[in-house]
Amino acid sequence: MDRNWVVLGVSLLVWGLLFAWILRVERRLHDMERR
Amino acid sequence: MIWRWGIFVWIAAAMAAAFLWAPLVPVLQETTRVLYFHIPAAWVTVIALGWSMIQSVLYLWKRDLRHDDHAAAAAELGLLFCVAATVSGSLWAKSMWGSYWNWDPRETSIFFLLLIYGAYLALRGSLEGDEKRARLSAVYSIAAFVAVPPLVFVVPRLYSTLHPDPILNASGRVDMDPTIRLCFTAMLVGFTFLFAWLQSLRVRVSRLERRLAT
Repeated sequence: MDRNWVVLGVSLLVWGLLFAWILRVERRLHDMERR
Repeated sequence: MIWRWGIFVWIAAAMAAAFLWAPLVPVLQETTRVLYFHIPAAWVTVIALGWSMIQSVLYLWKRDLRHDDHAAAAAELGLLFCVAATVSGSLWAKSMWGSYWNWDPRETSIFFLLLIYGAYLALRGSLEGDEKRARLSAVYSIAAFVAVPPLVFVVPRLYSTLHPDPILNASGRVDMDPTIRLCFTAMLVGFTFLFAWLQSLRVRVSRLERRLAT
């Protein structure tokens, strides 16, 4: 497989995980603010 | 919620374009891709530290702790992005120059920047009382930012460096392939919005901490 696709895939995966984590933090923060 | 997904799609699309569409710079070869992360991280560092300084000035003027929250959050994020720029730059240096650290003028400048803003966070952590912490930190932040333009823009241009020409070169032009420039600009914009989002989250955490402490 082309190395370009592999590195792009890993980069997108890392960015996706980071994004999901930030969204989760924001959701928890929102819950705490409402309490 | 939509704008958050907008940031995600924007950065993902810019990454895909950088890998699949933009050409490689002949001298950099495969390491060209580090450009799309390293420089936007350094760009956000300067924006964040500048924002910290502006909010510090506003705090000293209005004595409103909300400005101190913004100043502290921006300094933390500035340091975080500075570390990201340093680590990515160090890996790039290993690939291009054979060593992770060369005490190149830009590397030395960013090292001092890390020390200066690391000291800012240490100062904040060592002070008791919201008002006192905010006042002294604001003064330090303003004094610290005075060092940023010389360290980032002046020193690296005064001495011979391993780094390539700045994006905006001595003749005031951007010598960059149009496709690379488009992907690069898209990443700069994406990183800037990512910083704004993280900044708003960090400020909300500070307010929540203060509310819980009272």
